[in-house]
Amino acid sequence: MVKNVFSMDAFFIIVIIFLLLNIGLGLIRLWRGPSIADRLLTTQLFGTAGMAILMVMAGYLNDLTLLNVVITFNVLSIILVICLVQVWKKKKGEAP
Amino acid sequence: MDILIDSLLAILTIYLAFRCMLAPKLSKAVFVFFAFGLMLALAWIRLGAVDVAIAEAAIASGFIGVLMLDSLRDFSLIFSKNQERLEETASKIPVKKDSYHWTTGLALGLGLILFLLISIQAIWEVPQGGGLTAIAEANLPMSGVEHPVTAVLLNYRAYDTWLEIGVILMGLLAIFAAGGLKQYRKPGLAPAQDPLLRKTILIFTPVLFLFGAFLLYYGKMGPGGAFQAAVLWGAIGILLHLGGWPVFTFIPRRMRQILVTIGLGFFLILGFTQMATGGAFFEYPPAYAGFLILVVETLAAISIAAALTAIFAFLTK
Amino acid sequence: MIKEIFIVILLVAGCFFFLAGTLGLLRFPDLFSRLHALTNADNLGLGFIAAGIALYIASPWATVKIFFIWILTLLSSATSSYLIARFQREQEKSKNGKEE
Repeated sequence: MVKNVFSMDAFFIIVIIFLLLNIGLGLIRLWRGPSIADRLLTTQLFGTAGMAILMVMAGYLNDLTLLNVVITFNVLSIILVICLVQVWKKKKGEAP
Repeated sequence: MDILIDSLLAILTIYLAFRCMLAPKLSKAVFVFFAFGLMLALAWIRLGAVDVAIAEAAIASGFIGVLMLDSLRDFSLIFSKNQERLEETASKIPVKKDSYHWTTGLALGLGLILFLLISIQAIWEVPQGGGLTAIAEANLPMSGVEHPVTAVLLNYRAYDTWLEIGVILMGLLAIFAAGGLKQYRKPGLAPAQDPLLRKTILIFTPVLFLFGAFLLYYGKMGPGGAFQAAVLWGAIGILLHLGGWPVFTFIPRRMRQILVTIGLGFFLILGFTQMATGGAFFEYPPAYAGFLILVVETLAAISIAAALTAIFAFLTK
Repeated sequence: MIKEIFIVILLVAGCFFFLAGTLGLLRFPDLFSRLHALTNADNLGLGFIAAGIALYIASPWATVKIFFIWILTLLSSATSSYLIARFQREQEKSKNGKEE
């Protein structure tokens, strides 16, 4: 009986919506975070949640090429972090 | 059921776009823009355009996010006196909130609603014929590749792609014209002392290189191609530059010039040689089309990667 | 049937850890604790979701690719958490040095 009611696709959609809501919640920290490191941290959340969404979509749409996009997301979040910590060296003021 | 994901994604994207424009602090705006880019990449995937999604995520959020972080640093160095003057100055930077009359807002709002209604009505029903998809896919065996997007970009509309490479090159020239070339011989950052950072950059460099090469070759049969590979290779240059090994500025100048222009030049020569042997401009012989496309894509990727690295290297200090 | 139950369990666990990470991001008082919460919980959530999807897509190459993605994610998130923490330490140190 469970098998008649349950659909894997619908479950994937619920997971994707849940992850999108997580991203929406993370925006609160992006907005409020007192320092720039908090905002950088939130972009990590976006990257990881985006990767999770893409993986679930790869299963849902049955499209394995989406896994290439996952690696791209991963790379860009690390590049953003490395860029910020390297160019922001020894700065005394606060971000505008 | 797809409509749930799509509507949530659309709402989130538009909300992020508004927040990005209306953010009172620039640092918020930069990170919101990054998030917006990621959501836009997801939207492209929902629209079925995985190639654009990779390019969008990598260039429009990654690369431009990196450039914006660097500009942000310059802004904050200028404005780092004290907090009140900072707030006052920051509130003068781009968004002027109070200087429009209410009729302007009303006119803009009505215009926006009208535009939304028209566009919704226009896209509510996708044309049943599928447009040019049938013709594009029918000619696929002759185009030398197996992926319709790559066939369109590199064969049917190769002229447009060639011009796009030219546009990137023009961006680089614009930076030089605006004074970026003065950063030319600056030593830049010292090589990173932190062992973790060194190791990470040294691990990511071959990973990025291999993955870029994979995407370049995979463009033949799936989403991928020159631009995607190029931005990953450019990311290598950016990472090395950030880690304190400004490789790009230490290559001899002639070599830099060759690297940046080889994609455009070879593409153009290819187009003309076809004319010399009796075809039209940019018409590939079907026997060699696959090989030619691969060569063109490789050189274009090298050249775009060099241009992206140059844009970053000559914009930062 | 059994496989589907496993996939559901793994994905639900992944979602749970993602929620935990996001709640930690929102509610913890300090950057460092938020960093801790987010990096650990999010990656664990991603690992579970990756495992669930690898189970769903029953192709061996896809599983290898997903495993590679997971390893790369671990590497990059460990590095970025360390870099963010060190960055914040330097900011606070320079701010304290300025105040004193």
